[in-house]
Amino acid sequence: MNKKLGAIALFGASAVVLAGCSGGGAPTPTDANTPEPAELRVWLVGTDTPKDARDYLIKTFADENPGSKIVIEEQQWTGLVDKLTTSLSSNDSPDIVEMGNTQAAAFTSAGALLDLTDIKEELGGSDLLDGFVEAGSWDEKLYAAPYYSGARVVFYNTAQYEDAGVKVPTTLDEYVSNGVALADALDGVSGVYFPGKDWYNALPFIWENGGQVAVKNSDGTWDAQFSSAGSIAGITQVQELMTKASLAAKDGDETEAWVPFRTEKAATLSAPSWAYWSIVADEDKQDTALTDSLGYFALPGKDGGAAQVFAGGSNIGVAAKSAHPELAKSALKIILSDEYQTILAENGLVPAKKSLGSKVAAATPELAAVIADAAANAKLTPASPKWADVEAKGLLQDFFVKVANGGDVASLAAELDTQIESILNG
Amino acid sequence: MSTMTTTLSPGTSAPVPAAGGPARRRRFDGTPLVLLLPSLIMLAVFIGWPLVQLVIMSFQKYGREQIFGAPADFIGIHNYVRVLGDSEFWLVLARSIGLCVVSVAATMVLGVGIALMMRSLGKVMRTVVSIGLLLAWAMPALTATIVWGWIFDTDYGLVNYFLTQVTGEDWMGHSWLSDPLSFFSVAAIIITWGAIPFVSFSTYAALTQVPDEVIEASSLDGANVWQRLRLIVFPYVRSILIVLLILQIIWDLRVFAQIYALQTIGGVRADTNTIGVYIYSVSMATGDLGSGGAIAVILVLILLAISAYYIRTMLKTEDEL
Repeated sequence: MNKKLGAIALFGASAVVLAGCSGGGAPTPTDANTPEPAELRVWLVGTDTPKDARDYLIKTFADENPGSKIVIEEQQWTGLVDKLTTSLSSNDSPDIVEMGNTQAAAFTSAGALLDLTDIKEELGGSDLLDGFVEAGSWDEKLYAAPYYSGARVVFYNTAQYEDAGVKVPTTLDEYVSNGVALADALDGVSGVYFPGKDWYNALPFIWENGGQVAVKNSDGTWDAQFSSAGSIAGITQVQELMTKASLAAKDGDETEAWVPFRTEKAATLSAPSWAYWSIVADEDKQDTALTDSLGYFALPGKDGGAAQVFAGGSNIGVAAKSAHPELAKSALKIILSDEYQTILAENGLVPAKKSLGSKVAAATPELAAVIADAAANAKLTPASPKWADVEAKGLLQDFFVKVANGGDVASLAAELDTQIESILNG
Repeated sequence: MSTMTTTLSPGTSAPVPAAGGPARRRRFDGTPLVLLLPSLIMLAVFIGWPLVQLVIMSFQKYGREQIFGAPADFIGIHNYVRVLGDSEFWLVLARSIGLCVVSVAATMVLGVGIALMMRSLGKVMRTVVSIGLLLAWAMPALTATIVWGWIFDTDYGLVNYFLTQVTGEDWMGHSWLSDPLSFFSVAAIIITWGAIPFVSFSTYAALTQVPDEVIEASSLDGANVWQRLRLIVFPYVRSILIVLLILQIIWDLRVFAQIYALQTIGGVRADTNTIGVYIYSVSMATGDLGSGGAIAVILVLILLAISAYYIRTMLKTEDEL
């Protein structure tokens, strides 16, 4: 008898487990008017967000929402699209997620994020960066607010430039020839540190030479442009830098690129503006060889001036599956507040609000000016929800690794165009 | 290794119908069934249900919208037609089989070799070797791959450093991952390194079953080392070696962590995908879970075919006992 009871109990228990599993797909109710105290999980990606901003968010949120708190979970840029796809669809979804601006469309279009249109005005309305609002919108609704924009700045080692007798370049061609000259003059040093997977830094060469990533046809399909004459000219310049000026791993990526730079293994490094802090101090906060010999300039364009660089940056949204949407929205308002965005600006990021643009302070006023120059000319990747798939598949990384290994640019570019078109139009 | 725990599933799930069969026939006594229930339910929840989902998904148009709740349309065998017609799939499959053959061969030869060596070692050295094997065994595949990645690092790697010291040529800056063949050599080393302990320990345990007197008798009859090994020892441990071989084939064919982690360190993704990573890339990165599901189902069928032999061998061994 006892045994039977046990069996029945076991049955009951497993039935509950099973029910719990199969019922998991149902959305959690979101009708709470006054949000209950809860723990909010915020996913920030990489080390871009400065510590001051994180502390401000945690403290302000706790003050405004007694009993609730925010836990920041730092994610990696590598494999982010995969990770967001799995986690945003799970029942263990984070509440607020940051994503790359070029990746946002994959999630706004899929219903992974909560519609923020009702609080758009409170978040900043027309003061928000236009390109990023566009990147975070789908069907005229805002799903992911702009978070910040970053501009790529060229850092250089003033001492090594002097040794090699090279001056700050004024055109893109000069930037390339300088890189090669530096590598020739300095033994064991990269003229320009350019690992094969660093496609963000390769895009300006394409744009400056009149090329494009992809253009939209009149019938709505995409036409990839890597094999156009302008793009080929740009990629050839990239290849020259990667093969003749750079000693970086041909299949390496740009994470921690500041390590070879600050140890004087590379004379030039193009990196996001916040890399400044990792260059002038190492992990132990000690001065580096570059602390007193660091210079910077905006990547020069083909005909002088600042080049069109990749508009890196992030969008931030609330997960559709968030169990605490109201709390998440109130946290988002803090993140888009003038105070929080000013902290970002003071740390060299371009804030999400246009009115705060002048607050970009960076470490020195000169660097701030360089950031402003670069940001003014920034460009985006194609606005297609499928573009994130191109990134997630690593097509551009694979392509530039092959370019760095000395592959034939024209045939590689033609192959890449076919692959990109099959994804964008698939 | 972490692959162990997850990869046991095809082996353990398969015998279930066989075990459930006799239980059903003896319904008058429900005790065996009740005793089996917990594991059956676990299997149904953690393996059965996802498998059913996977099969259903492979017949649907299932993309990112569907993950987030949009209804999925059935599109028949469209996913299968597309996958089987895609030359990349066949390339990836061939690559996986190649890697699998090399890794399994190396694992079996080295693993059995170490087991034989352990038998002739003294107590102290045997303990040292066992601990070494256990440590390798305890290391998660991901961690191991990252460390191996450092060893083969382009700029700061040990291998490049030693080669420079030994050969006198400058190997610093040599990328071990950028050429696919070299990439897979590194991958095979990592996989083999991680798999050897299991084979060694199992074989060593099996070797203790070989009676000493038979070996002694054979050596008195004039059999040399090789003959003793081939004619006496191997027949005794044959069934275990076959099971080990098949398990290794299954595990190495669907290897994921090592390849995925190595790809983030270096190399060209498209040229180094194996079937496990390819499924993930198609499903998660490209967001096409329908096609990813179809590839996964095809892989399940291949693995089922291999494990069918494994189960038959296992059942046959049981009959012999």
